[in-house]
Amino acid sequence: MTSLSTISVSASRKRFDRFAGELARTQGADMLLSTDGFPAQTESLVGVEPVAELIFTDKTTPDNAKAFCFGTPGPTFGFISYDFGMLLRGVGSAKKRGGPLGHLRKYAATIKFDNGAARIQARSASLARDLAAALERTPDADSAPAMPAFPETPPTASLDRAGYEAGVRETLERILSGHTYQLNLSTRFSRRCPGLDPLALLLTLRRRHPAPFYAWFSSGPRRILSTSPERFLRVSDGQILSQPIKGTARLEGDRTVAENLLKSSDKESAELSMIVDLIRNDISANSEYGSVRVENHKSVFAVDNLLQMYSDVRGTLRADRDCLDLFFDAFPGGSITGCPKKRSMEIIEELEPHTRNVYCGAMAVIRDRRNMDSSIAIRTAIFDVETEFLDFFAGSGIVVDSDPAKEYLETLAKAEKFLSLEKT
Amino acid sequence: MNILLIDNDDSFTRNLEHLLAASVPGATVEVTPYARLKDADLEARDLLVISPGPGAPSEYLGYDRVFSAEKPILGVCLGMQIVNERFGGLTGRLHGCVHGKTDTLFMDGAEHVVARYHSLHVTEPGAGLDVLAANRDGIVMCMGSRTQRVIGCQFHPESFLSRDGGWFIDFALDYLGLR
Repeated sequence: MTSLSTISVSASRKRFDRFAGELARTQGADMLLSTDGFPAQTESLVGVEPVAELIFTDKTTPDNAKAFCFGTPGPTFGFISYDFGMLLRGVGSAKKRGGPLGHLRKYAATIKFDNGAARIQARSASLARDLAAALERTPDADSAPAMPAFPETPPTASLDRAGYEAGVRETLERILSGHTYQLNLSTRFSRRCPGLDPLALLLTLRRRHPAPFYAWFSSGPRRILSTSPERFLRVSDGQILSQPIKGTARLEGDRTVAENLLKSSDKESAELSMIVDLIRNDISANSEYGSVRVENHKSVFAVDNLLQMYSDVRGTLRADRDCLDLFFDAFPGGSITGCPKKRSMEIIEELEPHTRNVYCGAMAVIRDRRNMDSSIAIRTAIFDVETEFLDFFAGSGIVVDSDPAKEYLETLAKAEKFLSLEKT
Repeated sequence: MNILLIDNDDSFTRNLEHLLAASVPGATVEVTPYARLKDADLEARDLLVISPGPGAPSEYLGYDRVFSAEKPILGVCLGMQIVNERFGGLTGRLHGCVHGKTDTLFMDGAEHVVARYHSLHVTEPGAGLDVLAANRDGIVMCMGSRTQRVIGCQFHPESFLSRDGGWFIDFALDYLGLR
């Protein structure tokens, strides 16, 4: 097995971010960029010069992913689609899929950044040295990415207001008949954006709307732009952390008042509690008995001009299991399916005219058998450089006391940073 | 104690597995999906547990062999409703369905804070089943038969919202004559 050369360089977040953006621009690097100060803050990662990739088809198994991730040293980065989760959970679909079911890469070099230090791991000492030197030469200042080109046409929606509200009403009927307790319904907005510079768009959004799980990944002609605030599963030396988000309020007026209103809402609290019980369930399959616990229930943070409620769900990975056993048994994340998971996914498949693909899947960094981190790929767009279509998605969790009109407005609020480009 | 937990494709079954493992010292808990129930070995079991799940009891027609196995049975939520219908009881929609919220019950000489997730409820108890607890609105929360060795709860002892779900497992084991 090849050993890796490692160099550590101290750097400010600004310098690292600028360096990462330049590597993405000039060398086609993939990246996960975190932001400090969020409960789901993570280590940033840049992957340079792909040396191997695993493109998921409907024949790919979790064991194939394990062999790919654990067979050679160094981190793996990429996405696993919601549609692959449908296969895992035995939920069928006749819809045409819009891309691979997942895409993972290994790189000649990766750069990890956290707490003012960049750690470069490369398959050759000279590549590690070159990257360290390039990082040190990078100005310690924000870059000013070119403004994205403005779209010339308004977006079309797979579920427009009337369609979405009808979907909510149908979901309520399914809730009353006992088939689901909560269901996450989404809509897809598509917009032709000729000449769009998707990397500039992502970097501009990140400066304006920071969040802990920004990701950039190239998959064939598709560029994935993920601006997620939500952690799916982290495993650190076998310690599991999931941080499901449920409960949303506009961040306006006095923050303390708005936060207290959110936390005291029976509806929003029930939404979160259901998903916390589901996440407890999903990590329990691979956790030591007695280790699964809930901490910081109903905590709140602000992102995208919204207040979001979340909880920490923790456990200890069983000694005979690895992080991908945990990942694939729990995938896709409960906060974007609803509960119970399988029946809710079947209803989603019936009610949504689009495929979710990367949206509601996960961006994941897999380091070894007992270390990984992953997002829930919400607030996520896909830009196809051939068709020049930008697809972005938004959804909301429907519970028995949901109001169809309010749920539609919640989806618009979540899509706003991609919808309101022309205003920025 | 050898426990078989039958999973009706629910998303709380593993929580129930962990609660049973924590509440019954030395227990082995095996989980089997409802779809494979017909092949499950029921003979070696001391307790059969029917999990919660989506839908109504009428959608789950494969439980004959469970009720014919002459083993103690514990049903949770849908599981309780399945037990109830086996004894001729009825299930209907719950006015103002409750999901992810707590309720306070007086049962077994004490007050208990328990989690509820249900759109349906027992509208008519089956023959020979005793209602062991109801909430303040009269919704059946626990029912069973000592002689038939079955018990069920409508609430969710395995939820983190239930203040101490272990008390109910203790109660059920006593009721079923397993301790």
